[in-house]
Amino acid sequence: MADGSHASAWGEAEILSLFDASTGELDRRVLSDEGLYRLELERIFARAWNFMCHDSQLKDPGDWLISWIGEDQVIVVRDDDGRINALLNTCRHRGNAVCRAERGRAKSFVCSYHGWNYGLDGRLIGVPGLKTYYHDDLDRSRLGLARARVESYLGFHFATLAEDAPSLHDYLGEVGRIGLGMLCAHGEVEVVEGIQKNVIGCNWKIAVDNLFDWYHVAYSHNSAQAAGFFDISKILHPKNQMVMLGEFGHAIGGPGIPPERQATIDGLTDDEREAMSRAQGENQPRIRPRRAAELMGPVGVRSEGHPNIFPNLWITLSGVQMCLRLPRGPSKTELWWFTIVPKAAHPALKRKMIWEANHIFGPAGLLEQDDGENWTQATRSARGVAGRKLGQRLSMGLGRDEAAASGNGGSAIEGLISEHGQRWLYRAWTEWMAARDWAQLKANHSRPPTGTV
Amino acid sequence: MTTLERTRPRRRTWEETPLAERAGLQFEVERFLYAEAALLDARRYRDWLALIAEDIHYWMPIRRTVSTSDLDLEFTKPGEMAFFDDTREVLEMRVKKLEAGSAWSEEPPSRSRHFVSNVRIVAVEGDEITVEACFRLYRSRLNSEADEWTGRRVDLLRRAGATFLLARRHLFLDQTVILANNMSTIF
Repeated sequence: MADGSHASAWGEAEILSLFDASTGELDRRVLSDEGLYRLELERIFARAWNFMCHDSQLKDPGDWLISWIGEDQVIVVRDDDGRINALLNTCRHRGNAVCRAERGRAKSFVCSYHGWNYGLDGRLIGVPGLKTYYHDDLDRSRLGLARARVESYLGFHFATLAEDAPSLHDYLGEVGRIGLGMLCAHGEVEVVEGIQKNVIGCNWKIAVDNLFDWYHVAYSHNSAQAAGFFDISKILHPKNQMVMLGEFGHAIGGPGIPPERQATIDGLTDDEREAMSRAQGENQPRIRPRRAAELMGPVGVRSEGHPNIFPNLWITLSGVQMCLRLPRGPSKTELWWFTIVPKAAHPALKRKMIWEANHIFGPAGLLEQDDGENWTQATRSARGVAGRKLGQRLSMGLGRDEAAASGNGGSAIEGLISEHGQRWLYRAWTEWMAARDWAQLKANHSRPPTGTV
Repeated sequence: MTTLERTRPRRRTWEETPLAERAGLQFEVERFLYAEAALLDARRYRDWLALIAEDIHYWMPIRRTVSTSDLDLEFTKPGEMAFFDDTREVLEMRVKKLEAGSAWSEEPPSRSRHFVSNVRIVAVEGDEITVEACFRLYRSRLNSEADEWTGRRVDLLRRAGATFLLARRHLFLDQTVILANNMSTIF
């Protein structure tokens, strides 16, 4: 199902030439070409493990919500056995959407067109007029809602349309697992009620690559500092940055805790760490408890950066929010903001986390407001005949840093603010786009580097 | 009439207030709301802040597309996620941000038009008046962008000398997914 890449105008060599990892030059057609976008839906979104929801969003059997695999709408539902199913939201009769709302509670799903009725596991259980009009001559067993594969890690459910995709565990690799581990570092979590959603007029990859971009923070978000909302110097740490690179395009970029400071933290009990968190004041990530090292590993536990689970799941605020960047055409992206809190956290702490999440990100967020227009204008210029020939430059730090193995398949680069994360993203993008199937992608994708990068 | 009502005279409801009194208050309230909207459209944010009470709750919950049977899930509740959940301090930050000249989503500044209609006084308690209204906010941006939001608004106005102060604004938007790059305009 993953690859029906019929008659793509883009050949393998041509795709690989769209990003030059040795110079950091990105062909702007990557951000504007309709044909490349169509190919992304097949070769990236239909092939990847896409984030669907967290376990806490579907508490009871029959709870369902709508999510997306590229432009395929998916009903994610907990069935009577407690299992999570991802079902394509399209009736097998005439293709109508079986669910029109974005979430709800159901005993079964009835198509509003002719009344075909599907169970919570997707089986076709009822067809009006089966005997009279179809003469009992309809093989219902083959006409259930189409299913995507679902696998989970730490309560986060992902789905893929690719039968030949590796397991979610292997797909995530060390760096993807660190990302989800970051969300759970303070204990078992739940998603706070309410997903902020908005549509931005940009290519989805600009929204993704921006999450590795700690260069823009001081300038793009200057007005939030001027308003007294936050102190950039307390969060940026431009000289203590750590970029982690993982297989299949996963990466983490942002501040890293220096090894000496981590050594001090390692010597503290959880209570002492909590006291230290309280003492350090506003806008500082909570010091992680001991259990975090098991979820994030000895290098990952030092990251206070932004993981991206390829292709489009950003984890931010050191594990308090996630943002999905959903493709809606070459020049349109839908953003979904999820807020995550530890189940056992004190109500006052939960309130504080929710308050911060509400005011930093989301369309009215005092930081997030500033980003959309920069991305929209960068996307727009990629459509101009002259503009798109200029390329984009992602050369910061190129050839000046050292990467070291981070322990379990990934690698880490420590130093100044750089564009290593963005380069890794676009390099992986060319590899995903050039590969005809998972076998080819597994064989040909870049392994996290060691040595000079 | 029940015994209770006979012994303790029932408080006069807003609907039972004499027409002339109601018309007068309606006039005052509408004048205030129009003047407030005009300040925002004229980008006179400091003057607008002068109309905001110290204890304001300025809130816009998230709305979801749900079926008739799930309408209890339509809006998020206080304490859950929201688009706006602001105190006066946050509103002051939003104003400072707009004044900074580097709030890139509002630089060059957008052109906004705030419409208020269907104004209904729904309760009067002492010096506080609860007002429901429909709003429409149009934003024209650069030479290419136009955003529009409509919804229902519940305001609490508190009498303060010759004017009112806005002590609560709860905004119930008609959009679920926000069809705009951002919401950097004050509603």
